[in-house]
Amino acid sequence: MNEHQGAGARQVLSHSSVYSSVFRIPAIPPATSLPPFPRQEPYSLIFDHRLVQTETQLQCAREWRESGSLTPTMAEVAAFVKPKPRPIIRIGLFLISQSLLVSIICCVAGVLALLLLPVLAKNTYISENALMPGSASPMLSSADASDGHIFLNKIMSMDSTSTNTGTEIPEMIGKHIIESGGEVNYHQIQPISDNFHPLQFFLGPDVGIVQENYSCTSYGINTVGIVRAPRGDGKEAIVILTPYNSVKTTTSEALSLGVAYSVFSLLSRVSWLAKDIIWLAADSRHGEHAAVAAWLRDYYALSRGDLEKNQDMCVASSVLGHELTSVQRNGVSNGFRRAGTMAAALVIKVADSSTGFEKDGLKIYAEASNGQMPNLDLINIVNYLAVHGQGLQVRVEKIWSLLDSWWLYSLGELQELLGKVAKSLNPDWKFGIPASDYVEGCATLASSLYNQALGVPTGPHGAFRDFQVDSITLEFSPRFSSSQRVLFLLHVGRLVEGVIRSVNNLLEKFHQSFFLYLMTSPSRFVSVGVYMIAFALLIAPLPLVAAALFSDKLKSGKDDVSLEPSHPGESFPTFTAWNWLHTAKTVLIVHLWGAIVTIIPYFLSQFPNSSPLTNLSMWIASSLVGLFFTCAASGSLSISRASQLQIREWTLLKAVTVTAAFIGLCLMSVINYATAQIGALLLVPMCLMAVPLRIDMADKTMKALLRGACNILLVFAGFPPTAFLMMRGALDSFERVRIDDFWNWTESLRAWNSATYIYICMVHLPCWVLCIRILLLRR
Amino acid sequence: MATSFKFKPLTISILLLFLYNAIASSASGSSSTTMHTNNWAILVCTSRFWFNYRHMANTLSLYRTVKRLGIPDERIILMLADDMACNARNKYPAQVFNNENHLLNLYGDNVEVDYRGYEVTVENFLRILTGRHERAVPRSKRLLSDEGSHILLYMTGHGGDEFLKFQDSEELQSHDLADAVKQMKEKRRFKELLIMVDTCQAATLFSQLQSPGVLAIGSSKKGENSYSHHLDSDVGVSVVDRFTFYTLAFFESLNMYDNASLSSLFTSYNPNTLMSTAYYRTDLYQRRLEEVPVTNFFGSVMETIHTDSPYRAFSNRYYRKSKTEMPSDQSGGGNRRALKDLDILEELADPKLNVRPLQSTYLLVHEG
Repeated sequence: MNEHQGAGARQVLSHSSVYSSVFRIPAIPPATSLPPFPRQEPYSLIFDHRLVQTETQLQCAREWRESGSLTPTMAEVAAFVKPKPRPIIRIGLFLISQSLLVSIICCVAGVLALLLLPVLAKNTYISENALMPGSASPMLSSADASDGHIFLNKIMSMDSTSTNTGTEIPEMIGKHIIESGGEVNYHQIQPISDNFHPLQFFLGPDVGIVQENYSCTSYGINTVGIVRAPRGDGKEAIVILTPYNSVKTTTSEALSLGVAYSVFSLLSRVSWLAKDIIWLAADSRHGEHAAVAAWLRDYYALSRGDLEKNQDMCVASSVLGHELTSVQRNGVSNGFRRAGTMAAALVIKVADSSTGFEKDGLKIYAEASNGQMPNLDLINIVNYLAVHGQGLQVRVEKIWSLLDSWWLYSLGELQELLGKVAKSLNPDWKFGIPASDYVEGCATLASSLYNQALGVPTGPHGAFRDFQVDSITLEFSPRFSSSQRVLFLLHVGRLVEGVIRSVNNLLEKFHQSFFLYLMTSPSRFVSVGVYMIAFALLIAPLPLVAAALFSDKLKSGKDDVSLEPSHPGESFPTFTAWNWLHTAKTVLIVHLWGAIVTIIPYFLSQFPNSSPLTNLSMWIASSLVGLFFTCAASGSLSISRASQLQIREWTLLKAVTVTAAFIGLCLMSVINYATAQIGALLLVPMCLMAVPLRIDMADKTMKALLRGACNILLVFAGFPPTAFLMMRGALDSFERVRIDDFWNWTESLRAWNSATYIYICMVHLPCWVLCIRILLLRR
Repeated sequence: MATSFKFKPLTISILLLFLYNAIASSASGSSSTTMHTNNWAILVCTSRFWFNYRHMANTLSLYRTVKRLGIPDERIILMLADDMACNARNKYPAQVFNNENHLLNLYGDNVEVDYRGYEVTVENFLRILTGRHERAVPRSKRLLSDEGSHILLYMTGHGGDEFLKFQDSEELQSHDLADAVKQMKEKRRFKELLIMVDTCQAATLFSQLQSPGVLAIGSSKKGENSYSHHLDSDVGVSVVDRFTFYTLAFFESLNMYDNASLSSLFTSYNPNTLMSTAYYRTDLYQRRLEEVPVTNFFGSVMETIHTDSPYRAFSNRYYRKSKTEMPSDQSGGGNRRALKDLDILEELADPKLNVRPLQSTYLLVHEG
């Protein structure tokens, strides 16, 4: 009787709110504990869904209706006799009741979907009509290429003569730019300290922090050459960037300068420019990225007054003071020269030695900070022109060690076999790629995922992406003897010219193609719509399991009350629906502790000259102390209090932990999908498996012991340093892995403002601690 | 008019004409009996942006052709949605070519663009057709045709099923076009109208037409794309579309005294070279295409009537078929200048010179 009426109450309430039907109804105190229902209350109370309805009330309503003392309207009757809740709610309830099965299926499917991504990858295509790559024949002649060659020889000879203060090369580049008709200005950069400033974490690098103790010679000098589009509106620009070390220039850096010079001198003569061309020869003696970032910051931020003051300090004396003829002096400006907003930036680099390429190779680096990618169209045009125009071999980065893994290869063969079987069944079904392609795709995908997850830019192009400029690094690997340099300059110069002409055709910002994608080869990609499936499947069990645990807890809580009425004092606060708030407080405090862990390295960095290992151990030790104090202060994790109840509360604690992990992962997937994906692979099994070890021990069945062992293993693997070192070891080799690598790694994450660092400290680590807490709960 | 009444007794026709004069409001009757007295051309390029260079080149090529065949500038409404000649990306400033041999600059000294840039809108286009302008619009921007006019309406751009895109922001639908043509008919703004469209699925644009005297030809059937002809790798864009290219090739061998018929033009399109099927709709058109010279639309060649009395010249009830055909004088100075240039231009503009249609499908840009 009682059971039946409970069901009735659920039915009536269900259409007013999903949550009330799932959670609130069982939370209502049993009818017996309430004062008797005042029968003289108005009838309307019963049908007001904002009011809590108990079985008693509903019973009253039924009696009244049957006796016919009041006639409800048709709508009210309809609402009352509605037989079942809406299908979506029933499906939800069903999934919650089957949460174990669902979570196993979802996790397996999520991992499978991730492994299937290379198969699901699509061929790239040029989405923007305006680009028209390759429609114009290249204009760069061999004369231009040999000019570039002469230029690079000059740089090389200059480098071999000693007494290099770092101003000769900028000076010479400037002279050549003016001779070819461009405008020049010099931009000086100071080395920026790479200290970790927690408050400025999301604000980007500091602006205007100048170290006082640097002499003039330690300033880097960026040389900026600008060609104005003859009939353009001067509102947009395309950037060619060649980083080089002005103190010690290598042959490959000189080659990249030669390429840039031959293209630049050509572009100063052509009549089809609609966007200005900026050639930035960035002085990389304090780091490539720092030089570019400093120039970009000044390009977008610095006011005119600041510039002139700055310029007077060093550059004017060092570079401009040299013998410049009066003609040349007109082209050189003390002020900061600007062109329009940047449409795209190409970083041209030449690798020192070609590795693994059969012909002249090109490697494309695209990942910028926090997994941001340039528009796919930019990669597409480079790839199209390099392959079809200049016959270069194009690569994107891949993890080489994965190429030899047998399990990946057998997986590839399996999917190839499946594809063949499917094709034999129905010729229209076309999926499955050759196993070797699959392995290549996986290796590239893994590298793409890893680089995006790291959140550290893979080259100086990352600095542009911080200003929403699409940019990529092109690293050419020449395969030639030095006699064929002119030919190399010709090919590479034509490629760069083609890309610039294509971008020049652009009418708007890059917007047509994808921004969220993973590459599986230079001409294949996985778009956001596909790769999100893997992640969604992986995290889908989290809310289900949380809901299942919570409802189980409530049910058992009810049972406890009925079974043990001997603790009337404790029953009310412990077994109400609001009990989860206590555990939520615990979880919140652990997450707060995560925030403290995040900023500890800032204080550690105040002690100079300490080794990474010391720093790491200090960090861990202080985190532990921090955990102890935080918990002691809040009193939530204190072992003394109410320890008897803890073992019963583990389901609640797990439910809230799982919910917190779910929220954290969802938030992270918005910021950086790749981090969230890799994080989910570690975090989801750990959170879902967590069961107190005591329970497993008490069970003494094979299954329980296995579960316990799994839990210990997962928790061990889930500790950020071990996870990092294991990943390192698996991808590289375990001999070269050292423990202090982890400190260096996190340091680089901090230095690059990677959100992955925040994720590790504020989502992953607290969830890991909570999982340990669940495992170690006592009876 | 001459052919339809050729074998009928004169008396009947006179009686009928009296009747028609009595019922002045009957539009169709009056236009079918009115003589063809003048020619107009509306040439529309509907698309913007540098990569649509070819649409402007198409339109300018047609402009040059109809001018060469005798339609004066004042009777050509030229609408160009963008200015490729002065685009910063144009390697040849102030020049537009429709062939990679660069022998003919279409953007010469005497190109009168009536509607340019953002003036080329669906609204303006429909206003031109229907003649409902604001008072301030100058005569040179109006279609001042009458019931004796033959009008050529040429449109090119990106289109689809029953629409043609204007300016990347709006569309002309087949219903709009049909409605405007119907209004024109009722307002007696044309005698015959030839609509020529070079766009993807061009045939669908004609599906709603129902006014008599309208002839329509499109570059492709429903579901087909129209393709560009070839790419000029020097300018870096495709410079002409296939349908227009072969139309121009047909006209380049003609001068205004040739009697090539519309059917010879319509059958000259080869689906293999066009890579689409040219579709023409004749069910609204009364005359047989074999008997209609192309210069009836693409030129301005009037029959001159020799009469004894100058004061009775334009009364068509006393019309006698003249034996000599001469260009009419009403086309004025522009016409003569075009004639003078004719021979030189013909030499320059043979599109068969040095053309190699590129086979790579990548380079073929379609209009869909």
